[in-house]
Amino acid sequence: MGIDHAIGFGAAASPTGLIIGILCGLIPLVLGLRKRFVRPALLGFAACVFGGAAAGIWGGALMIVLTTAVVISYAYVDRQDPFTSRASIDQVSFEETRFDFFIRQMAALGRSTRAATRALVRNKAGFIGFLGLLFFFLMIVFGPLFIEYDGESHMERRRPGASSLYQGPTREFPLGLDWAGRDVLSHVVYGGKNLILVSAEAGLLTTIVAVALGSLAGLLGGVVDQVFSALSNFILTVPSFPLLLVLASVITFDNMTYLALLFAALYWPTLMRAVRAQVFSLRERDYVQAAIALDLGMFHIIFREVLPNMISYIVVNMIFTIRSAMYNLVGLVFLGMVPIQEPDWGVMIYFGRAKGAIFNPNAASMLISPIIAIALFQLFLVLFTRSLEEIFNPRLRQGL
Amino acid sequence: MSQPLVELRHVDRSFKQGRVMIPVLQDINLTVAPNEILCLVGESGCGKTTTGKIIVGLLSQSAGDVLYQGRPVGEFRGKERSAYRRALQIVHQDPFASLNSAHTIGQILSYPLKRHKMVHSRAELRRRIWELLTLVDLTPPGDVVNKFPHQLSGGQRQRVSIARALTVEPKLIVADEAVSMVDVSIRVSLLKMMHRLRDQLNLAIVFITHDLALAKYFAWEGRIGVMYLGRMVELGPTPDVIVNPAHPYTRALISAIPEADPELTRRKERMILRSEDIPSLTEIPAGCAFHPRCPFFVPGLCDSRVPPLADAEGFRHQVACLPLTQGDALREYGDAFREEQS
Repeated sequence: MGIDHAIGFGAAASPTGLIIGILCGLIPLVLGLRKRFVRPALLGFAACVFGGAAAGIWGGALMIVLTTAVVISYAYVDRQDPFTSRASIDQVSFEETRFDFFIRQMAALGRSTRAATRALVRNKAGFIGFLGLLFFFLMIVFGPLFIEYDGESHMERRRPGASSLYQGPTREFPLGLDWAGRDVLSHVVYGGKNLILVSAEAGLLTTIVAVALGSLAGLLGGVVDQVFSALSNFILTVPSFPLLLVLASVITFDNMTYLALLFAALYWPTLMRAVRAQVFSLRERDYVQAAIALDLGMFHIIFREVLPNMISYIVVNMIFTIRSAMYNLVGLVFLGMVPIQEPDWGVMIYFGRAKGAIFNPNAASMLISPIIAIALFQLFLVLFTRSLEEIFNPRLRQGL
Repeated sequence: MSQPLVELRHVDRSFKQGRVMIPVLQDINLTVAPNEILCLVGESGCGKTTTGKIIVGLLSQSAGDVLYQGRPVGEFRGKERSAYRRALQIVHQDPFASLNSAHTIGQILSYPLKRHKMVHSRAELRRRIWELLTLVDLTPPGDVVNKFPHQLSGGQRQRVSIARALTVEPKLIVADEAVSMVDVSIRVSLLKMMHRLRDQLNLAIVFITHDLALAKYFAWEGRIGVMYLGRMVELGPTPDVIVNPAHPYTRALISAIPEADPELTRRKERMILRSEDIPSLTEIPAGCAFHPRCPFFVPGLCDSRVPPLADAEGFRHQVACLPLTQGDALREYGDAFREEQS
């Protein structure tokens, strides 16, 4: 329960989802084929099926909106928008029905989706990162369809003459067996979800706190700025990991969200200072001055002028925070400071240490598998930030 | 004369740099009448931009009064304040920094229109954007409305900035070096457009530039104010100031304008200053700030008293030069520079 259900992530691949996805996909498919845009229609259908199957109704709905918008953005070019005609002002009618307006907005959304996709694909490193993350997503969502979770210990798998249940890779168990004779592959497949979600949660919370406090300090300045800066300085001087360690061992976390909160409370200052500095520089820009002269209001200046110019920076930093949250979590688990809940990549390493895997050559794959999984995930995250920069920066993005 | 739109009375402005206060503007008196063209010229660092920002209210003065339509601007509250804000707009120098790269041109223009309820329906909004883009010669409007600023050229962006300023139907536009970063080929058309807008929309324009030739061209029907180290040294109708400059500084500036004809430029008599260096704002010379460079320096007079901006005999405009306002003729100081020239 909790966040994974809210975003439909926990509802792993199911036949119902597949049906939802196919139904959703019919909209862009039919629309695209009627307008004779075959490629976007087929791609849209595929995306909807994938989204629906992976994340149920929410994924399907999201994909419907995006892919239909893309199809409309192709088809809209032929429509009569007064702004695309070369007539003079007296000849064009600016009246439009609600439906026309809706179509125009959808086309705009479709254009930005296409531009974002183009930016994503153009940067090779970023695209590799994206594919890698997609692979992990597929593994977590669709993996359970093919591989059953192996939670019981299997004494019967012990090889004659072996001193432990550990086994290297075999045809039956590609990543070998762990200390209780369980399939390591199933633990790798099932063990990432929780870790990734809690890290993402921690990164998100940290970013929200940092951006809120940073923009306030930067825009208001004066006393507010001094108070927040002093607070952040104070927290920065405290060594966070040892403190996290101590707190985590004192407080028992029945819910990992609290751990994410604790992480956010300790790690916001770095990003907050960066955001504050950005806001300080952005608020002196000419366009902000123009917005003040135009009397567009504080709300407009924060959300329309300043934030859009920081968003790529914020998102990239959020990714890095997620990365560091994951390392910290794994560190805590490895030291046994949070309740051990299987399956989890961190717990695998913890048991590797606790159950003597370090001294057993047969246990190498059991120890190395989660490490590689974590390292790869981190690598893909970092690579993906390259694409994110291009997606969120309109200057880098090729306009349509 | 009708009531001035904006009036600056004895305005000072200083900025704090570390522990030092730097006086950027000192005792500026200025009025801008409706539908007038006023040109502020001067070297960089003389306070032109600061004056412009104080006129539109983006900066506050350290001392003195700024009046809008006869009332101090500090008095305005609520709706009045918003109306005052909107009546005075600024067009910045750098067309690459003055438009937010995150929005399309259509969005940039629609925000102020929507916010101040200048339009009442979507159709009207789109019609108005079309009108504004046509007004600044960005035709056909459909070509730019969905583009991002970085997809436009410098001149086009400057036109968008002007269109954005026009969304709120201002009474005055401060054009802060608005054409200096634009290609020379586009400059004239921009200036002509601003002239046309002034006539069409009954705008007053405060044109800030470091280029006296440009000021002469643009403000021929208006007035020119020459600034030096934070003070206004000469202020009057453009033809008078250009043809019959009073202040030695203005004379030096005019004599430095190259003519289109190289023969003419070579034969033109250049005024040689006693010193090439502009004094720093932190160490403004006592008395007339120009006296260390002035070829007509009068010892004992120019370095003792700050010259007020006043009428001078033989000139139809005001000048801040003590010998002139006292009715004396300017006499060259020493002959060191004469020898140098020969």
